Amino acid sequence: MSIETERNPWMSAPPESEDEQEQVEHLRKDHLLLDPVGMEAMNQDALGSMTRHGRWTWMLIVVLGGLAMMAGVGWLVQLFVGLGFTGLNRTIFWGMYIINLVYFIGIGHAGTFISAAFRVMGFETRRPIARAAETVTLFALAAAGLFPIIHLGRPWKVYWMIPIPNQRQLWPNFQSALEWDAMAIMTYVVGSVLFIYIGLLPDLAMARERTGVNWRRRLYSALSLGWRGTDRQWALHESVSTIFAYVIIPVMFSVHTIVSWDFAMTIQPGWHSTIFGPFFIVGALYSGVAAVLVAMGFLRRFLKLGYFIREEHFDVMAKFLLIMSFAWIYFYFGEFLVTWYGNLPPEMTILDLLLYGEAAPLWWLMIFCNVVVPVGLLWMRRVRRNPGILFVIAVFIQVGMYLERYLIVGVMLGRPELPFNYSWYYPGLEIPIAIGAFSFVIFFYFIFTVFVPIISTWEVGEGQFLHGLRKIGRKITKFKSDMH
Amino acid sequence: MSEQDASGKRRWTMIVDLDKCSGCGACVVACHAENNVPIAAEDQVVADRSQHWMRIERYWEGEYPDVKARFVPVLCQHCGEAPCEPVCPVYATYHDERGGLNAMIYARCVGTRYCANNCPYRVRFFNYFDPVFAEPLNNQLNPDVTVRSAGVMEKCTFCVQRIRRAEHTAKVEGRTLADGEVLPACVQACPTGALMFGDRYDAASAVAKLLEHNGRAVRLLETLGTDPSIYYLKGGTSHVD
Amino acid sequence: MKISRRDFIKVSIAGAASTVLVGCQPNQRYVELEPYVVPPEEAVAGQATWYATTCGMTPAGNGIIVRVMNGRAVKIEGNPEHPLNRGKLDALGQAGLQLLYHPDRLHGPVVQETPGRREFKPLHWNEAVNILAENVKRAGAGLAIWAGLTTSGHLVDLFKRFAKATDAPAPVFYDLYAALHSYDALASACGGALPTYDIRRADLVFAFGDFLGSGPNPVYYGVQFGAFRGQALGKRGYLAQFEPRMSITGAVADRWVPVKPGHEALAAGAMARIIAEEGFGGAERAARAGELAPEVDVAAVAEACDLEAEALVKLARAFAEAANPVAIPGGAPAGADNGVEATKAVQILNAIAGVGPLAPGVIPPGITPTTPSTFAEAQALIEKMQNGEVQTLLVYGANPVYELPEAAGFRQALNKVETVVSFSPIIDETAAWAHMVLPERTYLEGWGYRVVTANTGRTIISSRQPVVVPFYQDEATGPAYSTGDVLLTIARGIPDAIAALPWTDEVAYLKQMVGALPAGAYGGSDPDTRWARYLQHGGWWPAEDAEPAASIMELAPVKVKAAASQGEANEYPLYLHVYTPVMLGDGRGASLPWLQGSPDPMTTMTWRSWVEINPQTAHNMGIKDGDILKVTSPYGSIEAPAYVYPAIRPDTVAIPAGQGHLDSGRYAKNRGANVIDLLGATTDATGENLAWSNVRVKVERTGETINLPIFEDKKGAQEHLHF
Repeated sequence: MSIETERNPWMSAPPESEDEQEQVEHLRKDHLLLDPVGMEAMNQDALGSMTRHGRWTWMLIVVLGGLAMMAGVGWLVQLFVGLGFTGLNRTIFWGMYIINLVYFIGIGHAGTFISAAFRVMGFETRRPIARAAETVTLFALAAAGLFPIIHLGRPWKVYWMIPIPNQRQLWPNFQSALEWDAMAIMTYVVGSVLFIYIGLLPDLAMARERTGVNWRRRLYSALSLGWRGTDRQWALHESVSTIFAYVIIPVMFSVHTIVSWDFAMTIQPGWHSTIFGPFFIVGALYSGVAAVLVAMGFLRRFLKLGYFIREEHFDVMAKFLLIMSFAWIYFYFGEFLVTWYGNLPPEMTILDLLLYGEAAPLWWLMIFCNVVVPVGLLWMRRVRRNPGILFVIAVFIQVGMYLERYLIVGVMLGRPELPFNYSWYYPGLEIPIAIGAFSFVIFFYFIFTVFVPIISTWEVGEGQFLHGLRKIGRKITKFKSDMH
Repeated sequence: MSEQDASGKRRWTMIVDLDKCSGCGACVVACHAENNVPIAAEDQVVADRSQHWMRIERYWEGEYPDVKARFVPVLCQHCGEAPCEPVCPVYATYHDERGGLNAMIYARCVGTRYCANNCPYRVRFFNYFDPVFAEPLNNQLNPDVTVRSAGVMEKCTFCVQRIRRAEHTAKVEGRTLADGEVLPACVQACPTGALMFGDRYDAASAVAKLLEHNGRAVRLLETLGTDPSIYYLKGGTSHVD
Repeated sequence: MKISRRDFIKVSIAGAASTVLVGCQPNQRYVELEPYVVPPEEAVAGQATWYATTCGMTPAGNGIIVRVMNGRAVKIEGNPEHPLNRGKLDALGQAGLQLLYHPDRLHGPVVQETPGRREFKPLHWNEAVNILAENVKRAGAGLAIWAGLTTSGHLVDLFKRFAKATDAPAPVFYDLYAALHSYDALASACGGALPTYDIRRADLVFAFGDFLGSGPNPVYYGVQFGAFRGQALGKRGYLAQFEPRMSITGAVADRWVPVKPGHEALAAGAMARIIAEEGFGGAERAARAGELAPEVDVAAVAEACDLEAEALVKLARAFAEAANPVAIPGGAPAGADNGVEATKAVQILNAIAGVGPLAPGVIPPGITPTTPSTFAEAQALIEKMQNGEVQTLLVYGANPVYELPEAAGFRQALNKVETVVSFSPIIDETAAWAHMVLPERTYLEGWGYRVVTANTGRTIISSRQPVVVPFYQDEATGPAYSTGDVLLTIARGIPDAIAALPWTDEVAYLKQMVGALPAGAYGGSDPDTRWARYLQHGGWWPAEDAEPAASIMELAPVKVKAAASQGEANEYPLYLHVYTPVMLGDGRGASLPWLQGSPDPMTTMTWRSWVEINPQTAHNMGIKDGDILKVTSPYGSIEAPAYVYPAIRPDTVAIPAGQGHLDSGRYAKNRGANVIDLLGATTDATGENLAWSNVRVKVERTGETINLPIFEDKKGAQEHLHF
């Protein structure tokens, strides 16, 4: 990386001694915001990442695209013959399509949370990873938005759920949690896309300025909506971003609450629980943060973004993950304790099924992935600062959280009130479609990085301007400007 | 709609006398015949996709030689507070206020299957494939009842087509519907008379009389507050040894 | 006709004008847009026509009414006026609709060069009848007729007349339904009539076989059972069921007594003896018991039956002290080598209580009941076939290739018959081996009547009439002949026969016979009115009696022994319990998807054969649900998956009949195994009746396992249902 060091304007004086020099270097190595290399160099580095996809990355992209296409073909088949090739049956009517919906919506929470909530709370760590996280949200939501439609028996009638006056005299039923869900997901998708787009504007303009006259330039010109970086534009940008950040947080909380209500509003044993709202939000953030960690690992490794994504960011995210893990355990334990103490036969049937019954292997695997691995490892600083290990842990958490949804939807549904109708879920066509959906998300994530700088350089630059080093006594300390 | 229709609300009610049910399956076939319910092929049965609006659940109690089998015919309970109704986002399932029926419009169904998940009795069935009636078996189809396509839910309707037909006949003949004039196909077929049907709001009807102070009458999963329209008369006992 | 240009223009203008005029009418004449808020079920469209006729799926003779809309039969229900089934119907009877519209029905007559190759060529009806007439004429006394028990009474008469006129052997009426319900043994034990009981007011019933799910009259007994359980003033009948494998009757019984197979009659005899010895039920009953029940060692019998002596005493006491007890014979005991004795032993219990079976009705002249032949009579005909004494064999309403055990030799005997003619509407196993098939109309398209099998104390003649026009009237094969008309047509060419069968067609025959009936429940002053009312109401029966007459049986003391087994106990350790399942009956339900796909009530199995085995036995042998078992008897072996069944004796396996068809249409073909392959052609002690229930088998695992096509969740069904 040929980035020239540039003196931070806020830095009081150059280091005077070797000891000071060492301290400064140490701090700069640790903290991105103390390590400015100049706006231009940073921009070039971020833009360069769009062309830094190696041969293996491209091959991976092609494979992922192929898998996504496979899922598309699978869906076409399903459209023509019905849902018969799925593993659903006369007892279990919801399966992996709904599990995927919940899973991807959950993943989609992290981007918004990191970007909006961290912004509102002034967490500076967010700056280089916010866009990466938002992009996870974007494509996870795209996948999540597809699944309710794939799930439908007659997907071509999906617009019947939208309240538009029509000659059929149909009107959606606003008593239905699914209708709330449809509204909430639509709001969240629109809101998230806008939020991401607003954050992207200065960087699109930056890219526009630094690209030769070719298709890329035309693309960025169109997308940057005439951004010139004037004071007025920056002021508007600031206020819009802040308003959006405040608005999108409750929307985010409501979405997963409402998704959980799809289950909790029913009287299916195992589902009918008041705890589901917060429990699902915690679960969503847990899996989402882990997903962002996976993405960060990818970016740092494949797009060589080591300058921007540093160990400090992994460390912070890993700590957050640990906290979410504890929160998740708390909710899960709480729910089971209540069930066990209540000792209602249909609920106990499900508890037995999970703890010792047919579903026990899945359940204990989930506990291993969601509890044993993260809690056992993340307390170690060495682990938290090791992107490789964190990547593995994050994948474990993805598996665990997917299993958790699988148990709630695919397994619990198999234990209705009347024991004659117990059933077990063996997914069929859902598996290729789910693999395709994962491929779809990763595929578009990579494609996105080809077209859009995945690091928000203006945010990083802003951060670097606001941070600096100051010598207090003999110690060099970092400080944050209050000029913001 | 005339005033005559609007005035008298009914509550169609079925009584299942578990002491009389021999599990002979006549009701099951009657329902298939009346309501164009498709038969699941063997691989679909293995995939647990049997489709029987009326089913006889058989429970075992005890072990050989003191083993007992109990039949419980289960069909849509036509709940007064049906859990399946509020959850449908497109009003495909709705409550028929005229007769207290839990009704379903197949043409409106988009196939979210939410109703089926929320049915504690699991009496709603989903068409995973289009039904197949090999020519000329399609001639057997009842013209009064829709053949449901792939992607929609279906369920017992209490043979609403029979109810409407009887109401229509009564109206044409200028009289009110008599007790026992409407019988769903299952009730009509039941050899032992374990199934009875009538309007519970009509105090003079046979079901209303039978339910009055009947210590054997229970409703399935009544604690869920679904207010089912089906009453089960628990098996009686007579001791001789 | 010549059309000038002027005419053409005039007509064109008139046509155009009328089109415009019609088109200008208000649009509601054409379409009314119905929004998606009114389901079609709410709209009442069209009027249905109901026709009364008689069920042809079982020999019981249930009256049915068929709903016809736009010329299509769409629903079969019980005839509410019919005194046998009183508006009720079983699964089999309702599924008959699918026989009418079965996709594999023959459109017209077919012939094949080589029997068994199933290469059929279509034939014109006239040609087919001519060929048959030739064959029958040539055969002369070498004509043989084999018919099933659902055969209409008029055909029974025509067959008999035809055979008599041509000096041919008497027709045989025998099918699997008769065999597995031991019609022959039950009738010979009860003075020639099938015993039927009135249990409506009984307070205690002992049954020795399934009578609600199978048996000669399941619907009749179903109606009776409803009354039995719901008697006046809340009185409720008590039912005890003596059988090694719990049938649906056993399931609804208050007490299921798993007697050792072949020992049921011993238990009955012991109870009779206990009544005598202990003096239960008053002096009169005890005295009668003393006369009729020979000495037995009750303790030894109880041990042999695998029951506790104390339980037998309690049951005997309950029977003797009941006001109106009834013992219903039948089931497996009647099909053992001592079937007649066993049935009599059960009847002795009735005799002690002073009840008898309902009296058979008096058959009016001109009416012919379908009386089953014994197995010995059927065997005699097979022997004739083997000896080459039969040139032409007519098979009607029966499927002996499928229904008879291999050892009976029917299949081999067919090779010796010059011409085999089947009248089956679908190619069944027998038709596959026939030279010619003249498909009979299904019972919903044909004429006839059935005298109901049950002796309900009065005569019930159940009418049969076409409810729809014959479904297949293909141009290529010409108008379809019914079998009755085929016979009458052929008779015209045979001088001996023409005098015995002088009618122009079967309707003329039926009108003559029905017109001669005495005044029945529906009256009518002249034959035409009587005929019309007979068709309208579904038959003829006397006006309702106050109380059906019971016959008192003259019984001598019977000393029964345990049934002897076919097969050595050390080689074949398990008893085989064969039964007719509720859905498929004796196999005639197997071709209909409604019956194949509706779950068997006890096992919830569909589409397959299965082997029921006690959980303990299964555990000991390492057998799990779905393991394919090889079941071997001294006569053959079959393979079927295991179904672990909690209510069967550990020394018994049960296999339902009805599956294992090689033909009989797409829904039956190559599905499951035919349990008849495990049976021999041994007759019972009287030498008349087939002994089918005392075969022993051994069971081995083949190593294969399948997923059972069951409706239930097997674990869940063991859980407690919380109401």
